[in-house]
Amino acid sequence: MKKIKDIIKEKPYVGWLLFILTVVIVFLAGLFGSSIIERRTEANLILQNIKPLSEWEPRNEVWGENFPRQYQSYIKTLDTNYKSKHAGSQKVDMLEKYPELVILWAGYAFSRDYNQGRGHYYAIKDLRNTLRTDVPQPSTCYACKSTDVPRVMNELGVEEFYKKPFKELGHEIANPIGCQDCHNPKTMNLRITRPALIEALARQGKDINNATHQEMRSLVCAQCHVEYYFKGEGKYLTFPWDKGSSVEDIERYYDSVSHTDFVHTLSKTPVLKAQHPDFEMFKMGVHSERGVACADCHMPYKSEGGVKFTDHHIQSPLNNIENACQVCHRESEATLIKNVFDRQDKVEELLKLAMNSLFKAHIEAKTMWDNGATEAEMKPVLDLIRSAQWRWDFVAAGHGSSFHAPLECARILGTAIQKSEEARIQLAGLLIKKNIPLPIVYPDVSTKEKAQAYIGLDVNKLKEDKKNFLETVVPVWDKKAEERHDKMQEKYTN
Amino acid sequence: MIKKIFNFILPPDNWKVPVIVICGVLSGTLVFILYVGNATSYLSDKPETCINCHVMYPQYSSWRVSSHSKVATCNDCHVPQDNFFKKYAFKASDGARHSFMFTFRLEPQVIKIKQAGINVVQDNCIRCHSNLLNHTMFVKDDRGEERLCWSCHQETPHGSVSSLSSFPDSKVPGLNPIVPDWLKKQLNK
Repeated sequence: MKKIKDIIKEKPYVGWLLFILTVVIVFLAGLFGSSIIERRTEANLILQNIKPLSEWEPRNEVWGENFPRQYQSYIKTLDTNYKSKHAGSQKVDMLEKYPELVILWAGYAFSRDYNQGRGHYYAIKDLRNTLRTDVPQPSTCYACKSTDVPRVMNELGVEEFYKKPFKELGHEIANPIGCQDCHNPKTMNLRITRPALIEALARQGKDINNATHQEMRSLVCAQCHVEYYFKGEGKYLTFPWDKGSSVEDIERYYDSVSHTDFVHTLSKTPVLKAQHPDFEMFKMGVHSERGVACADCHMPYKSEGGVKFTDHHIQSPLNNIENACQVCHRESEATLIKNVFDRQDKVEELLKLAMNSLFKAHIEAKTMWDNGATEAEMKPVLDLIRSAQWRWDFVAAGHGSSFHAPLECARILGTAIQKSEEARIQLAGLLIKKNIPLPIVYPDVSTKEKAQAYIGLDVNKLKEDKKNFLETVVPVWDKKAEERHDKMQEKYTN
Repeated sequence: MIKKIFNFILPPDNWKVPVIVICGVLSGTLVFILYVGNATSYLSDKPETCINCHVMYPQYSSWRVSSHSKVATCNDCHVPQDNFFKKYAFKASDGARHSFMFTFRLEPQVIKIKQAGINVVQDNCIRCHSNLLNHTMFVKDDRGEERLCWSCHQETPHGSVSSLSSFPDSKVPGLNPIVPDWLKKQLNK
């Protein structure tokens, strides 16, 4: 067999053929390589934002430029037209609806002003408007209200942030709850931006970094929709879950650290005020047991022109039955709504019983004090009222607990009524001992105004101060925020 | 024999250096392609391998939020699992087809499974779910053809929406980190 060099020597075109063949192979290999690289770049472009977001971008409308579908649905939280039988997105003056609440919270800022909340979009507005923020409050109140919080927390440090007086940080906190709170600005992955949840889970020995995607679709909500308190002098935001998260577990925790939110001005009860244990109550319900996440019903998937995305109009699922409920339940809309109302009606019936019983207990305790009761006499009674009111409030303060976990609500309210009535039995004994004729006379609390006048609250003065504050202080804050926003893009984009 | 072939292609002495260089260029290009193509990942069963190319993002995303993501990877369903050689032969032929389609931009907007793939998936459904099967697996449709599992379970596990533009913001491939760096630093203070 001849060597190839000899063949080429005889027939030079074989050499040329070899040359051209090599060119083709290298060309194809290069094409393949460059195609892979091109396609890699394409993949990056898919996730690239049209307008890169800075790490601290608080403005939802700026995020919205990149994610129009999500943003368009988010700004629907502006809509306050939806009203269901018991709740909805409208502002409802709860003190007007149930004036007894004023008596239950005598001595606490909630007796001034308490409304059914509106959508996330109104978080800052409503925080500034409420008469509750006129008592000296720490900046801990801001922790859940704004996308500016992560930035300021990082600048000041977490502890320092909480310690600041409420009005000192007013100009820093301008944007309502939104994108930044739950999403990573680079990847849009779900993330946790508030320390309290991470710390509470860590104290229970759980590492939040191990959460699955489905758990995260609830945990981002649990950053805020939980029972919490401001711990110690530093007003450090803390979730009371060290002993567990049932109503009894949390009560044991509060008792063990001798926590009291306020001392009742009429009955002198050291009261625990429940916040909104929505996540804790949800976990007690059957939907949670079946692995459903908050977002499954409150932010269900939505299709728009063949594109599937998460509806960011966070609202009552009752206003979106077909996407929220009927994905799993094949009953008619009317049936599903009836099922929800049935549960809510029944829990509300018990809520009112507990509330009225507590109202009477507070007044009876006050009558005892007015007639020279001793601390030793009253201690067991006040312990019962504290426990009863905590349990009632644990249900009353939640959003949608009566649907999330109706059985647990009924159980808790059962114990609340029992404890409150037990307190009243003991009070009746004490009143008889003092020769006070029963039944005692209860004040007329048929309206919010009458109830507030009874506890000696000058609401008109408070409203005047608030008006003044909104007209003079808030515009200065807003102006400073605007100036900061103008510089934000350059300052924080790497 | 080998010596004969070697002798046949052996270049003249004064050509040896250029030939070595040219062979190096060719081999280097090959290694480069293996590198940028993330070639070793194709030996694994990791679902992330399937999104080396972004064309599979919709399939990956819909799988990841499905109940199957807890128990089955892409390969568990889409690659034969009954025999080692069959598995890698299938992977190789599938891979060759995919790289051809992808390089020449022949991929459709909506990817549909081919017959070879259908057979494999059906076998794999049965492999795991055999305990759930009774006579229903033999039920024929009105044309007398045997039904597939997903003739009825149409949305398992990828759902009904799967075109390239249907998951524009899909979080690929994962979730971490859940706690941002600044907060980690603050908490470690």
